[in-house]
Amino acid sequence: MPIDAFLKSVEATTFATTIRDSIWMFPIIESIHVMSFTIVVGTIAIIDFRLLGLASTNRSFQKMSSEILKWTWAAFVVTVATGLMMFTTNARIYYHNPFFRAKMILLILAGLNMAVFELTAGKTVRTWDNSPSAPRVGKGVAAVSLVLWVSIIFMGRIIGFTTHPGAVAPPTPGVNYDNFLLPPSGGSNTTGSSNAPAQAPNTPAHTSAKKAKKK
Amino acid sequence: MKFAAINKFAAWLAKTSPSHTLRVHESWLIPGVQSIHIVGIAIIMGSLLMIVFRVLGWAWTDQSLRQTVDRFGPWIIGGLVLQLLTGIVMILAEPVRELVDFSFWAKMVFVAIGTALLGVFLVSVPDDEQQGEALARRGSVRSLAVVTLVVFLCIIVLGRLIAYDHIWPWSPATSGY
Repeated sequence: MPIDAFLKSVEATTFATTIRDSIWMFPIIESIHVMSFTIVVGTIAIIDFRLLGLASTNRSFQKMSSEILKWTWAAFVVTVATGLMMFTTNARIYYHNPFFRAKMILLILAGLNMAVFELTAGKTVRTWDNSPSAPRVGKGVAAVSLVLWVSIIFMGRIIGFTTHPGAVAPPTPGVNYDNFLLPPSGGSNTTGSSNAPAQAPNTPAHTSAKKAKKK
Repeated sequence: MKFAAINKFAAWLAKTSPSHTLRVHESWLIPGVQSIHIVGIAIIMGSLLMIVFRVLGWAWTDQSLRQTVDRFGPWIIGGLVLQLLTGIVMILAEPVRELVDFSFWAKMVFVAIGTALLGVFLVSVPDDEQQGEALARRGSVRSLAVVTLVVFLCIIVLGRLIAYDHIWPWSPATSGY
């Protein structure tokens, strides 16, 4: 498929390789992604609750949205930029992941939902600006918006559980955690642990499985 | 070994029945609870941002400081309770991942600092509008507001880094056990 060839070339760029090969870059980029995303969702929720008539009902909607939405968009730009950075590192894996695709579709729907608002209640905002809540269509848009953004959070989270390059099946519930935990008794040699072979101190056998699970 | 007690506790917790039940359903339950945890921090961040903007005079200026705090304070407190509850579930589900982890404990320190700063701020805002304005104009109060915001941003970063604790050279996750 031509798209796969393109995505493969994206993964091969110096940019993607640098992030992929770094031990700290991806975690930091992902942390910034989450940080900016919480601001996107947090501020949108404030607007949605105003539209629904559930909070800040004593304030002008236009004043509120002009104060808040510029920060929402600024945070959104950061979220998209960091999202793209993460995408380049394993473009084909993300592209073929059903939850990644679902997240992208939900983002498009959130954009369309906003467009619906602009074309309906947004056009008549002067007539209800100081009312405690928006007209019915505005309330509908707000409710849909809240559902969409929470779903986007869930999709984003589950991508991390389903795309890790070293993804392995989760350990069985009966796993013996003692093997992970107990430090070698008496110095660096593991003694008497029948199912844990001797390991170099800095490369325990469980590291890869543990990393794969952590996400 | 300085982490031995925590390790033993985590191992014991992992063997308890609630922890076992959570892990049996982990394929959907853990990401589900983590998602609620992110919704919670989004609520807190949105609300905290508004209070900080009010102190700095960037937004909500047609409302008194007290009114703004009354509007968003309960959401922050409710959000923190939600974080505590979902956080406990996550610890129960993955005691080793959470407790044998530098980022987790660093995050807890920041949570304590952030909550304390927030608590002091929320109770010290006067009801009187003029007094509120005087408070918001004080450099120390503005600095406190910004520091609180930065502390909460650090909490988010450290929270995400729980999954990547190997980036810290001194982390128990990288030290060989």
